Amino acid sequence: MAEATAFDPKKFKEAVEEKTNARLKMWLEICAHCGLCADTCHFYLANDKDPQMIPAIKGKKVLEAFKKKDKIDEKFLEDFYWTIYGECTMCRRCSMFCPFGIDIATITSTGRGLCVSQGKVPENLVKTIESYYEHGNQMEVTQEDWIDTLQWMEEELQEELPGATIPIDKKGAKVLYTVNAREPKFYPMDISQAAMVFYLAGEDWTMSSKGWDDTNLAMFAGDLKAAGYVSQLVRDAAEELEVKRVAITE
Amino acid sequence: MRLYELLRGPLLWLAFGVFVGGMVVRVVLFFTLSTKKDKPIYRFFSWKWLGLSIFHWIVPLNETAKKNPVTTAVGFIFHFCLVVTPIFLLAHAVLWYESWQISWWSLPETTADYLALITIGCGIFLALRRIFLPYVRVVTTTADYLLLGVVLAPFVTGYLAYHQYFDYDTVLMLHIFFGELMLVVIPFTKLSHFLMFFFSRGITGMEFGRRSAPSW
Repeated sequence: MAEATAFDPKKFKEAVEEKTNARLKMWLEICAHCGLCADTCHFYLANDKDPQMIPAIKGKKVLEAFKKKDKIDEKFLEDFYWTIYGECTMCRRCSMFCPFGIDIATITSTGRGLCVSQGKVPENLVKTIESYYEHGNQMEVTQEDWIDTLQWMEEELQEELPGATIPIDKKGAKVLYTVNAREPKFYPMDISQAAMVFYLAGEDWTMSSKGWDDTNLAMFAGDLKAAGYVSQLVRDAAEELEVKRVAITE
Repeated sequence: MRLYELLRGPLLWLAFGVFVGGMVVRVVLFFTLSTKKDKPIYRFFSWKWLGLSIFHWIVPLNETAKKNPVTTAVGFIFHFCLVVTPIFLLAHAVLWYESWQISWWSLPETTADYLALITIGCGIFLALRRIFLPYVRVVTTTADYLLLGVVLAPFVTGYLAYHQYFDYDTVLMLHIFFGELMLVVIPFTKLSHFLMFFFSRGITGMEFGRRSAPSW
């Protein structure tokens, strides 16, 4: 389960120490404060060019957090939380166009990791992480629902394309096709349409009864432990089914 | 001229020592820490993407340069003059020759004079940018102005010394002092980007490159 933690400067310091690495140190030190990242950020452009939104500000706040360590207070943390989750989508545009190649997205992700140590993660992201641990996917799709959905979609598919199938756990298939949990939950037709393509292309493919959700909102939340767990699920499925390739949904 | 001897002798050695030693320590620390905690660098290491990334940013062949032509031009000229002027200045070459009997090509004196003025001009532009552009002002710290001052001071005093404005001895000693100060602060400040740029740009180039995406 996602750890329910509260404001805890000691843990914050531990998180800082754990997350300190050579790249991060270098990036936080060499930023020349040139401001060339401003125009690359959609938060900056969409907020009437509010200078507080430029990517370098996010780097500056993470640097502050790294310097404060256990000297942080709740007011700082609150402000930090809103910047790091609310004003950056980690799209990496600024990293791409920074003359020094300072990877602000990775810096933001590290900042989110610091928030995770304080249990400060947006509620909806926490829910998805809990769901990953409980059901192996982000949308609380149960094992039963998943298999039912695949079988139902197979029936629909066969009405249009007799003979087409949605193979489940076919060992030794070439491609393991994984989806976004949103598909079985809200748009199951997407799965049968993908199956149609696989069938017509003559692909040797399969879906998996477990480890089939290719989203990783735990990574987006900055909870790297959970993110590793989620990726491992897909990897395990791929190894168990001995597939050559994992395909992810559009 | 006691002070001059001191500046020209032991302090110069000290400055070079701190500069070179400091940067060596920086690089060694980078490697010791990164081999433990930055596995992606080594797992996805690629000379191709490292080289391409550095190349596209060391000559301005990138989107940022296209979108900010003036800043790019000024920044480029600034860095060029910053490196070329002191190395190929005739007066410096003479000093090298006196001490070590080594010599290399040097710039005509008037050219060097202009290069110094251009450097100062570019520096002023960069300072004005910090003052007048809101998105630069917001990330600017006092250290940014101080460092710009430390970098420009040897050029200002060098220009004054060459033209023998004010008291030559004082200006000359200030010139040497500021030059040494600049060398000393490099390893401890953002000025270390003269070397770390290659690390940072290379790493991000590889990070994008392993997804076949160019980062320029």
